[in-house]
Amino acid sequence: MSRRDIVVGLALLAALLAVPALDPSRYIIGQLTLFFIWATIVTQWNLVLGVAGIFSLAQTALFAFGGYVTGMIGLYFGWPLWFALPVGGLAAVAFSLLIGVACLRLRGAYVALLTLAISQVMYLLIITDTECFYMDGVTCRNLTGGTRGLTKYGDFGFREILGAQWILGNYYLGAAILALATLASFIIIRSPLGMAFRALRDNQVYARSRGISRFKYQLLVFAVSAFFTGLAGGFYAGHFKVMGANTLYLSLSLFLLSMVIVGGVGRVWGPLAGAATLMIADEAFKEFVEYRNLGIGAVMVLFVMLLPKGIAGTIEDTLLPRFKRAPKGEGQETG
Amino acid sequence: MDQGVASGDGIRGPLLACRNVSKYFGALAAVRDLGFDVSPGEVLGIGGPNGAGKTTLFEMISGFNAADSGEIVFDGEPITGWTPERICHRGIARVFQMNAGFDTLSARENVILANYFGATNRVIPGLRFSRESMDRADQSLEVVGMADKRHVACRHLPVLDRKRLMIASALASEPRLLLMDEPVGGLNPEEIADIVAIVGRLPALGVTLIIIEHVMRFLVQLSTRVMILHHGEKIYEGSAAGMIRDRTVVDVYLGEGTSTRLAHFLSAKAGDAGPAASA
Ligand SMILES: Nc1ncnc2c1ncn2[C@@H]1O[C@H](COP(=O)(O)OP(=O)(O)O)[C@@H](O)[C@H]1O
Ligand SMILES: [Mg+2]
Repeated sequence: MSRRDIVVGLALLAALLAVPALDPSRYIIGQLTLFFIWATIVTQWNLVLGVAGIFSLAQTALFAFGGYVTGMIGLYFGWPLWFALPVGGLAAVAFSLLIGVACLRLRGAYVALLTLAISQVMYLLIITDTECFYMDGVTCRNLTGGTRGLTKYGDFGFREILGAQWILGNYYLGAAILALATLASFIIIRSPLGMAFRALRDNQVYARSRGISRFKYQLLVFAVSAFFTGLAGGFYAGHFKVMGANTLYLSLSLFLLSMVIVGGVGRVWGPLAGAATLMIADEAFKEFVEYRNLGIGAVMVLFVMLLPKGIAGTIEDTLLPRFKRAPKGEGQETG
Repeated sequence: MDQGVASGDGIRGPLLACRNVSKYFGALAAVRDLGFDVSPGEVLGIGGPNGAGKTTLFEMISGFNAADSGEIVFDGEPITGWTPERICHRGIARVFQMNAGFDTLSARENVILANYFGATNRVIPGLRFSRESMDRADQSLEVVGMADKRHVACRHLPVLDRKRLMIASALASEPRLLLMDEPVGGLNPEEIADIVAIVGRLPALGVTLIIIEHVMRFLVQLSTRVMILHHGEKIYEGSAAGMIRDRTVVDVYLGEGTSTRLAHFLSAKAGDAGPAASA
């Protein structure tokens, strides 16, 4: 990690920790908490898609899987969500390994199709789940919660500690998960592991001939990114106190994918920049309900055509060198 | 790789042995019942017409395409059916016929990766590249004369530099055997001379070589022994001087003209040191 990365990271973290001191509305805190969740997923998706170059569209499926597992453990085993949360993360890892093995023989567009199919199958399994799993008084409940969603598994218990300020507890927990996920993605991108991922992205056959196992490192990138994505899912479940199949909507997947692209594919700061930009854009388009997705789509198209390197890529490659007149060459290619 | 040629206790036998190796693509025998040995320190040149099965042979030795039958033994250990990664870790590196590289990474990153992941099997990679990997990488870049271009992205390098980078990367994985598939294909005479100089440095680094090449002048200049393949079979194995007098080789591959020119080239080379690098 460069000194610049550390300074930017600490400044961002300090700003986010200080926000509650400004006494913002609950709405702002809620939106920022949601930002933490989306940005966590996007940092990890960026590892798979941007750094390792694997066209997986399964990221929201891993997110939902982590969320459902966390909720179900809370509901059916009565565990506090604090303990269910890491299990949700690990469950997402296990799920991602299955997906990873299935994808190993495939390339490019076929990986996208398979992973999309997996998340759609998951969606269908949940909304067609009508069998009675247990009776809640006189109502029949499904294993997954079905179309009604999974509920009554509790939360992170901040209401007991913080009272009316409970949402701040969630806010800080979400910020902590994002900070961890970002740190992990930084360490990986800048380490030999990240370089191995990029080598496999650039040329799989050649990478193997230089001793880099595709099997091992592709599964590893799936697993690492699934862990934090699953944690984000578990946190989402605990924050909203309901886990629904809407987490598997294609529109959410596209929303998050556009964050990856707008931020700058494969760039370390891309996910945060992209998530922030898209959430602000979404906020702006909110009033025009029926044009909301259209607006998001337009932002994505604009970026793909005008700034294909995304926000982070453009700043790193074009703007910063202009300010610093840095010696050319080094570092430019490695974002 | 910096040890002398005789590192592997000399007497123990061949570094690489292929026994009755065959590879079929459908009904086509790309390589048929091929057997040969390579001793430590040798430079074996492999020639033969297009489609003779030369690249297929490398595919099998380097683990990308399993042999249908036969056995490949490296340093006393059968490596038939091993993965390319494992074969790389065991000490065989390959320079591809097509220009391959990690396009978005810099030249130096390409070579560091090759050393870090190629020289040994990293069960759990560390958080940073070791000092040793970086030093090895820099040494390899020196060998091919690319130290000054180490920060250039691979995709921005011209063809000759990409070839050199591929050689540096292969070298960085610390091989005992290096397979080079048409290293001067598509290069002009000046560039060929450049590669000749680089390849000439490798035996002294303790690397045994097998070189596939169409440019026969290049091949005879560097090889200690040559082997000619035709339709997947060996039609000649022996000295370069013997090859140009071999009836079968002249008939099916070289032709009279090339044979005569090579004969002149060889006698000129024997006559005075420092071969001319013209076509
Ligand atoms: N993957 C493959 N599938 C089918 N046929 C192949 C394949 N690879 C090579 N061949 C065929 O095998 C023969 C030998 O090819 P190759 O080893 O590339 O020859 P060389 O390198 O000597 O020019 C050719 O006839 C080629 O068409
Ligand atoms: Mg060939």
